[in-house]
Amino acid sequence: MIAQNPAALVELRGVTKVYGSRRVVDHLDLDLHAGELFAFLGPNGAGKTTTIKMVCGLLHPTSGTVRIAGVPATSAAARARIAYIPDQPYLYNKLTGREFIRFVVEMYGIDRRRAATRTAELIETFELGSYIDELCETYSHGMRQRVVFAAALVHEPDVLVVDEPLVGLDPRSARIVKDVFLSQARSGVAVLMSTHLLAIAEELADTIGIIHQGRLLARGSLDELRARAPDSGSLEDLFLRLTGGDRPTVPLPEGSVLS
Amino acid sequence: MSVAGPPRQRVIWALRWLRWRQGFHHAADLLEGSWLRVALVIGLSALFWGLLYTLFRDGFRFIDSILPSTNEIIEYLFGLFFLSLLVMLSVSTGILVYASLFQGDEAEYLLTLPVSEDRIFAHLFRDALVFASWGLFLLGSPMLVAYGMVARAGGTYFLLVLPYMTAFVVLAGSLGAVASLLVARYAPRQTRAILGGLLALAILAGLVYAVRLMGTPGQPLSLEWLDTLLDRLSASQSPALPSRWLARGLVAAARGEPDQALYDFAILAAHAAAAYLLAAWLSRGWLRTGWSRSRSASSARRRHGLYALDSAFHFLFGFLPRPTRLLILKDLRSFRRDPAQWSQFLIFFGLLGLYFLNMQRFHAGESVWPAFWKHVIGFLNLSVAALILSTFTTRFVFPMLSLEGRNLWILGLLPMSRRTILWGKYLFAAGLSLVATLMLVILSDLLFLMPPGVILLHSLALTVLCSGLAAISVGMGALLPDLRQDDPSKIAAGLGGTLNLVLSLIYIACVITLLAVPAPWYLPDLDPSLDRPPSPPLPGGLCLALVLLVSLALGALATWLPLRSGIRAFESRDF
Repeated sequence: MIAQNPAALVELRGVTKVYGSRRVVDHLDLDLHAGELFAFLGPNGAGKTTTIKMVCGLLHPTSGTVRIAGVPATSAAARARIAYIPDQPYLYNKLTGREFIRFVVEMYGIDRRRAATRTAELIETFELGSYIDELCETYSHGMRQRVVFAAALVHEPDVLVVDEPLVGLDPRSARIVKDVFLSQARSGVAVLMSTHLLAIAEELADTIGIIHQGRLLARGSLDELRARAPDSGSLEDLFLRLTGGDRPTVPLPEGSVLS
Repeated sequence: MSVAGPPRQRVIWALRWLRWRQGFHHAADLLEGSWLRVALVIGLSALFWGLLYTLFRDGFRFIDSILPSTNEIIEYLFGLFFLSLLVMLSVSTGILVYASLFQGDEAEYLLTLPVSEDRIFAHLFRDALVFASWGLFLLGSPMLVAYGMVARAGGTYFLLVLPYMTAFVVLAGSLGAVASLLVARYAPRQTRAILGGLLALAILAGLVYAVRLMGTPGQPLSLEWLDTLLDRLSASQSPALPSRWLARGLVAAARGEPDQALYDFAILAAHAAAAYLLAAWLSRGWLRTGWSRSRSASSARRRHGLYALDSAFHFLFGFLPRPTRLLILKDLRSFRRDPAQWSQFLIFFGLLGLYFLNMQRFHAGESVWPAFWKHVIGFLNLSVAALILSTFTTRFVFPMLSLEGRNLWILGLLPMSRRTILWGKYLFAAGLSLVATLMLVILSDLLFLMPPGVILLHSLALTVLCSGLAAISVGMGALLPDLRQDDPSKIAAGLGGTLNLVLSLIYIACVITLLAVPAPWYLPDLDPSLDRPPSPPLPGGLCLALVLLVSLALGALATWLPLRSGIRAFESRDF
């Protein structure tokens, strides 16, 4: 269920981004409300990461506006309400996981007593207890991702922006992350997630937006999109039709057939 | 949650705490990992400092024996030295600031936090400044301490040296930072062109200056010649230059004139503070915009060409097997597409070229120098070429295998032996080094009208040096790779790189000593203008044959041993 809130927390109006002669995002309009879990679905190079970086105030749109809770995305007030987790998250290798979270607490100016309670909760949620006091340089990819998620949520953001969140995670880590997304959305956080995995979008998202060559080609709930799919009513068929025509052809050995 | 930003003091404290904790863990790792490594680094640094101090002290004593060391000429020389440092520091800090603010992962992360842009700038600027200037402190401190000792300077001088140098470094770095903010804000697509233009400008200015200085009329080292020379350098003594304030202030402090010294320090410090404030103020408005623009520029897809160069490479190195050539070509392409790499390469060989061009001065004053000195300078040339070459192999060849990093498994899975991969890298490094240095040494020998036998001897010695130095770097690079680091300068500055440099220096010392010490006995056989020693222990021909034999054996050993160790380590490595 999407919370009924008329004021959009994330608001993109006519956003275009051009790299050299390449139009990466093309007149994008998007609203994201409190409690909504939105999945940006698109092939590689579709403009998902660029859009996400504009939402976080890192990249400036060539034209159009990006606002977070009514203020420009590049303002400090907007950044105070956002948590951003990139596909290759940054961690200070020579800090322990706990020290990294502490650093984030200080950078957001969170009350220290409140932060201590919140940190303990997050360590438990993400099951970090066994390695939180070891240096980040010793962590595996999954461990790093979990620490980054914990650090991103410590300031209780209103908007959670995540780029390809489940890449390289083991099944348990992936389950934790997916549950956290759902729990954040149900508690009123607007979650914007980019993915190129259809199954993730189908499983988690309240709303799915299919983006291709910088344009938002379709937007709606899973059922609404399925209704637009030809024949099979599968999201995959709709995605393939919108983003590249028919099913891609792969040469097969003579006489063999793909089931 | 509250949308108010974090208190400024808390952010400042957090950023300082961050670096402190990182430093603490780094130091703990170092101490836990290897005492030998720490001891080696401290010991070598102390040794280097001591050697430099002795060198500068003796130099200043020599000058002091001719004229007072607080003379205007010293001020003049200091002004010239600090002006070149000002330019180098501004450029290097500017490049580092640009890389860290607009290309670094930490800046991207910090820009997503609710922290003001000038605070992020201050945090990363400090790192860049330390990284760019530690060499200056290592090189400059023994010089300034030696000067103070020889000039019998008082306490004011020694108290002021560090604040003076700090203000100077901050001023130079801030100017570089302003330039890098300007580039990111207004010309993020032209970074390569700007870097190339700056380099071309510096080389041009250097050449113009060098030609003017080399054309100074009069008998070299005569008073008239010195006067004209200083006159030609007068542009470097403009009272508007910070290098001039530093030079004048330090000499005034050494002379025991604290008022003048403090006055110049105040000017320097005020300008440093103003330049830093300007950079920080610009970063408020430009850091985020510049970041966005530079990232947008770097995301524009580029097609790379220059395949004619690749064809030329295949033609020139046709004697190597094709897979080996392709591997080398991969390194060559990465090298030429990274401006930080090839610009340093140009600086290395540009300096070497300038040095050899300067040799003309000795040639012009041939009548001043006895024939014996011609050969001393010949050996000096050989040593300088080898020393620069050892820096080159440590900086560029040693990190080659480490730079494969996480992709090392690709090399491991290739359908060719690992021995062949290393031999290919060695042949490439040795060949490139030889082509670059041999031309310069032969050119300077021809300028000195050296006899053919001596030119041949120098060429042979250089071949032995190039082979050994390339093998040491390839072998050590395979033996002590740093696969986690992707910055070649940091790989070269690590333990493996340091050991590589030390071994290279020892090797150079051995080869040059072997050639130079018995030179008086065998050189008259190659150059009839030299006097024969009254009672040589060996006939000249036999001595020369022995020297050649031992040099070749030493070169073969220095090539074979490191390569064998490197190949063994590389073959036993798990990917």
